[in-house]
Amino acid sequence: MTAADEDAAGSRAGAGPDSATPRRPDWSAMAIAVILLGIAALVAWDAWTLKLSPTYARVGPATAPYVVAALLAALAVGTAVMAVRGGFPAREHAEVSPILWIAGGLAVQMLVLGTAGFSIATGLMFAAAARGFGQRPLWLSFLIGTGIAFVAWVVFAMGLRLSLPAGPLERLLF
Amino acid sequence: METFALLAQGLLVALEPVNLLYALVGVTLGTAVGVLPGIGPALTVALLLPVTYKLDPGGSLIMFAGIYYGGMYGGSTTSILLNTPGESASIITAVEGNKMARAGRGGPALATAAIGSFVAGLLATLALALVAPWVVRFALSLGPADYFALMVLAFTTVSAAFGSSTLRGLTSLAIGLALGLVGIDLQTGQARLSFGVPWLLDGIEVTTLAVALFAVGETLTVASRQSRLPDRVEAVKGSVAMTREDWRRSWKPWLRGTAIGFPIGAMPAGGADVASFLSYSTEKLLAKRPEEFGHGAIEGVAGPEAANNASAAGTLVPLLTLGLPTTATAAIMLAGFQQYGLRPGPLLFASNPELVWGLIASLLVANLMLLVLNLPLIGLWVKLLTIPRPWLYAGILLFATLGTIGANPSVFELGLLLAFGLLGYGLRRFDYPIAPVVVGLILGPLAEQELRRALGIAQGDPTILVSSPAAIVLLALAAIALVVPPLLRLRGRGRLLTRLATHED
Amino acid sequence: MKHVIMATAAACALAWASQAAAADYTIMAPAAPGGGWDQTARSMQEVLLAEGIAEDVQVVNVPGAGGTIGLAQFVNEAAGDPSRLIVGGYVMVGAILTNASPVTLDDVTPIARLTGEYEVIVVPAESELQTLADLVAALQADPGAVSWAGGSAGGTDHITAGLFAKAAGVDPTLVNYIAYSGGGEALAAILGGQVTVGISGYGEFQSQVEAGQLRVLGVSSDERLEIVDAPTFREGGVDVVVQNWRMVAAAPDLSAEQVAAITADIEAMAQSESWQQVLANKGWQDTYLAGDAFAEQLRVEIEATEAILRDVGLVE
Repeated sequence: MTAADEDAAGSRAGAGPDSATPRRPDWSAMAIAVILLGIAALVAWDAWTLKLSPTYARVGPATAPYVVAALLAALAVGTAVMAVRGGFPAREHAEVSPILWIAGGLAVQMLVLGTAGFSIATGLMFAAAARGFGQRPLWLSFLIGTGIAFVAWVVFAMGLRLSLPAGPLERLLF
Repeated sequence: METFALLAQGLLVALEPVNLLYALVGVTLGTAVGVLPGIGPALTVALLLPVTYKLDPGGSLIMFAGIYYGGMYGGSTTSILLNTPGESASIITAVEGNKMARAGRGGPALATAAIGSFVAGLLATLALALVAPWVVRFALSLGPADYFALMVLAFTTVSAAFGSSTLRGLTSLAIGLALGLVGIDLQTGQARLSFGVPWLLDGIEVTTLAVALFAVGETLTVASRQSRLPDRVEAVKGSVAMTREDWRRSWKPWLRGTAIGFPIGAMPAGGADVASFLSYSTEKLLAKRPEEFGHGAIEGVAGPEAANNASAAGTLVPLLTLGLPTTATAAIMLAGFQQYGLRPGPLLFASNPELVWGLIASLLVANLMLLVLNLPLIGLWVKLLTIPRPWLYAGILLFATLGTIGANPSVFELGLLLAFGLLGYGLRRFDYPIAPVVVGLILGPLAEQELRRALGIAQGDPTILVSSPAAIVLLALAAIALVVPPLLRLRGRGRLLTRLATHED
Repeated sequence: MKHVIMATAAACALAWASQAAAADYTIMAPAAPGGGWDQTARSMQEVLLAEGIAEDVQVVNVPGAGGTIGLAQFVNEAAGDPSRLIVGGYVMVGAILTNASPVTLDDVTPIARLTGEYEVIVVPAESELQTLADLVAALQADPGAVSWAGGSAGGTDHITAGLFAKAAGVDPTLVNYIAYSGGGEALAAILGGQVTVGISGYGEFQSQVEAGQLRVLGVSSDERLEIVDAPTFREGGVDVVVQNWRMVAAAPDLSAEQVAAITADIEAMAQSESWQQVLANKGWQDTYLAGDAFAEQLRVEIEATEAILRDVGLVE
């Protein structure tokens, strides 16, 4: 999504669907329509590949997917119409870097969980998430996050036998 | 008469100081673990069950009852305050409850949830003691066609009740339905939308989706607009306690929620989530000010919270009278009973009356304990909101991932958490409602399976769908739910026009 | 910085050393908490600790796809590690086939069969069907008119229904099988008279049978059971024997001594009084079988299961 689209969406705020002046379509909303249509096609294609043996129910495994695909396709058309008419509500400017920090933190946690163990992996995620909200410095949040995660690990993994992966830190102390 | 004597005897045992202490410990542990997003009542009970093994049967039953109710209740606190429901039965609570919390009304929202849960738990437990045999006979008479009709009713009322735009509400629902198709088809064993990925064969876990859409999506949304948000959240505006107005608006939803939740919980294919959806749409339909829904209507918290607790007690009806575990939580409870040498089944009431009534008495005491513990803590809970945003949201993510990893320690599940979290952000950005996605994921597969079971049993004859009184009544209600709101809206507009006209006079 | 790295390295070394020193077991239950495999794993944990056979036992749940996800992860992670165990069962045999799992039971080291349960066919008390012969006659007259309630398609209940029909001379693809997701749901449908017969493990129906609400038509055991007052399928002229067993297996790539040590621990557990108490509490049958006898049994069952899944069209 570009800044121009953002502005376009913003400037159209409050424009009714029946307003007379011609307007540029809302490209982001149009993209949603395309995505919906893509999901509809995927669901229908997957249903088409299912093996249909005769059943007493006559409603087999493919029926529900076709219904959902049809619904999604209809909604895609509706969304496209609304995008052209500018019927979507105004969107405010989104800050991208906090999202990258948080999503990145979750991704890092996911990737190092097996090797670094629960506390360190979660501490990294915690630090990145706090950084996404503007908290500095990173190392302090990391220490705090690892500390909280470690206490949680002790309570849940040792106390309640919930299986949370252990890493060097956990093995050092237990 | 004998019933009351046995119940009174059970209550006397449960009210001994030591047992009260066990109840308190159970409720505290249950709430503390159940409050974590992603750890629902089933996992809470499974995790904490071993804690009870060390006690004598009486004490452990009481602690167990406390854990059960504590786990059920725990999810609502984070739903209301942080918009991060811990399990499917409290997603509806998040819809109105979090709006209230943001308006500085978190105290009354938590109070109506706690008192509503108490009222519902009390009435439903009494109902369990008094009318269980009749309720269970009714529940058994329902077949797949009736359940299909119930799901149709849930679909129509829920989709009518959500969101400012029908198109966006339906789109959210359709996304949920598509996600509900993923995995092995129960009736034929074929994999759908799994693309050869083994982790998808069991379908999308409801808790993962709910935690991702709400907790992760919410965090991303708040982060993306933080510079425009006020630095400090005002945790309390007005009173922490419920006002007279709040009470007046809450008591009817509590009772209606109980009336909806208890029988649905007793039905083999029902559940606390379905009950909470139906209660929400009922409240919206009956509300004097439906325009407040979506902006923090207290009825939308009171009703569903009562419904999900009543449903939890309702689940015990088939469990205790027939030995039928109808939910994951009930299946784990069954395992718990076996620990005490109890075999829940049709003969349980006859063969072990003192234990059954002891359990029912324990549930009543645990329920009271929950209220005693939570009402004074509301002031403290609300303070959660004043934690500086970086720590608060990083902490939410910490516990959300803890719940997800603990329930299913796989990298794939965390990947889904992140992907659905981004989806949740995208939906919020374009003003799509979140709850219908989860509703679609829960109801879609239920509706499909019940339809196919009904038709399978009838060997393809579609008239089976309208051949029982219950199915006809439920479908008629669904039709009414579709037709009446537009009519009411028309009438409302008419009234407004008349009022405008009189003003001009 | 250098100090930090060194300290970390030392910490890691220490951690690995302390881990290696602990003589413990980690048991994987390839299912969600609460199910049969999870209960088996947790009971093992309890007994191994109570009997002092092991000092520290942990249970890990890896749910999904009939246990095949847990199995794949187990083979991948645990190879050569004698402290790792996995619980599994007959359901896995079917799931491996229907899900086309790349990892099979050949990839682990089966230690012993621990418990087992036989399948029963039940009808509501008021049903017209009185004997297995009645059921066979009804099935032969119109297979579609007999609806069977049981667990998910391709599971033990479905396989048994298919084997039953086939042995009764009815095309197994014509069985009108209605799958339910949980034991409770299927039971409700049977008690409510929504379906003709129910098929599942006896434990699912025991208390209803004892209360006289359900009648057992037949049992899938080879000989009559003490706990069930009903004929076997064989006595009814239907030559089918199915046991839904649960087993414990160890990691692949272990030495003969390691396997022997684990087998000794499991045997000590199975013969202990607390294990017998667990079996009695849970209503599980003791079907302990270890070593070559178990391996041979496993081979035979995998073949039979594959054949019937092919017959009903679940496996290509």
